[in-house]
Amino acid sequence: MTMLEVLRPTTVSEVPEDHFLVVHPLDDVRETKIDTSTLGTMPMTASVKLSLMTLRGYLILMMLLVLYHVLDLAGVFGQRAR
Amino acid sequence: MQEEVLLDSKVNSEVQLPLRGRVVRGKWLYRLMTFLVVFGPGLIVMEADNDAGAVSTYVQAGAQYGTRLLWLLLLLLPVTYFIQEMVVRLGIATGKGHAAMIYQRFGRWWGLFSLVDLQLVNFLTLVTEFAAISLALSHMNIAPRVGVPLTAVGLTVMVLTGSYRRWERVTVFLCLLDLAWVFLALKLRPSFGELFHNTLVPGIPSGGLTANLVFLIVATVGTTIAPWQLFFQQSCIADKRLRFSDLQWAQLDTFLGAVFTIVVAACMMVAGNAAKMHGITFSDPAQMANDLHLVSGEVVRSAILLLMINAAVLGTTAISLSSAWAYGEVKGWPHSLDMPVKKARGFYVTYVLCVGAAAAIVLIPGVPLQLIILGVQALAGIMLPSAIIFLQLLLNDKQVLGEQFTNKCWNNWVNWTIIIVLFVLSLILATQVAAPRLFPSN
Repeated sequence: MTMLEVLRPTTVSEVPEDHFLVVHPLDDVRETKIDTSTLGTMPMTASVKLSLMTLRGYLILMMLLVLYHVLDLAGVFGQRAR
Repeated sequence: MQEEVLLDSKVNSEVQLPLRGRVVRGKWLYRLMTFLVVFGPGLIVMEADNDAGAVSTYVQAGAQYGTRLLWLLLLLLPVTYFIQEMVVRLGIATGKGHAAMIYQRFGRWWGLFSLVDLQLVNFLTLVTEFAAISLALSHMNIAPRVGVPLTAVGLTVMVLTGSYRRWERVTVFLCLLDLAWVFLALKLRPSFGELFHNTLVPGIPSGGLTANLVFLIVATVGTTIAPWQLFFQQSCIADKRLRFSDLQWAQLDTFLGAVFTIVVAACMMVAGNAAKMHGITFSDPAQMANDLHLVSGEVVRSAILLLMINAAVLGTTAISLSSAWAYGEVKGWPHSLDMPVKKARGFYVTYVLCVGAAAAIVLIPGVPLQLIILGVQALAGIMLPSAIIFLQLLLNDKQVLGEQFTNKCWNNWVNWTIIIVLFVLSLILATQVAAPRLFPSN
């Protein structure tokens, strides 16, 4: 039997006793996942909220610093300090 | 023995339509086949991160410090795996993308902030991918104004087939082409004793902790673990509809992908080291390929140029998809590679716009490629800790994941350690930028 014959699709109505069925996820029955749409936002303590606000400021500052560094390397500010 | 079968609804009472599958005999074959059908997102997300910017960073690291920084790659292997493994659990448990989860669990502001950050870094990165393609093409005597648009068209056709599987097969093939880096590294005859030593024994290259070294380390971390990877893999898993039972195989896929990527990255560093050994200085990998051909032959030159294009193509398709998936999730549009264009117009248009605009920008003369690459990677390195914080919070969200999928105590220890290290690196970068005199220049 050639490989092509082995891979040729056939129709069966059941999986034999000592065999296993391998189904590609895209061919499988769609699984019911955890429904997150009704949960709303994550409950957070005040300290977590404050930490996230600090993170927000930190990110904005860092992005500006990287922008400055790149422009500095590009010579936008003239002679480099070092 | 294995046969492809079409199962009708008698096999599973829940099945409405015939189900395609393969019946196999023997548990080991069943496990192998199950792994093979799950395999893909892990390898792609990891190897696509070895994009044009990564090629440039790793060969620069090799050219400047030889193989002295190989230990850093070994250190990044578990780091990159642990981060992406969390994404695997989140994707399988929820069946939703990362952007959608941030929107739902952290609210509109953070959702928008994450999305804008992602789109900004992604787009800048895409520009660097096309800049690298343009550079490599010009070294191959192909006019970029012809080659770049053709590559953009190819990248578009790759996703427009309306088949996730077709896209995945093509992309996995492109990933495996990167094995050529291993052959290339072997052809450049590195010292295996030195490789072994520098991989296992961490050390700072001679010259000490200079500004260049710090910037290169942050760039290496930024290129090995990038924020788009979180969004990409979770969306990819959701699009592939991986099942709860696929978790262990998806984790294995991710682990193998991480190993593959780190090995390829190490080979890139070896190529840079070969240039250093021959006293070749260069500003980009294409120039390195040109100069190396004098000592290593035409095959090495062509291979490096082609691999550079392959890296950029892989990076472009993955990064553009992460943008398109994220935007589609947030906008509530249909967003699946398995959908025809007419059913997911917004998703495909976003992808095409990302690819097309980045390709167009590169055709504007005078783009400072190396500077943009280093800048983008530093930016990604800085944004990564915050992206992982959201991931970490989501993975401790028992309301969403329940006990089965949430982080265990050891997961949290590992992840907070990673986050702290990444923050320290970004703070070092900030210090370097704000007070450059604290670091010796070279």
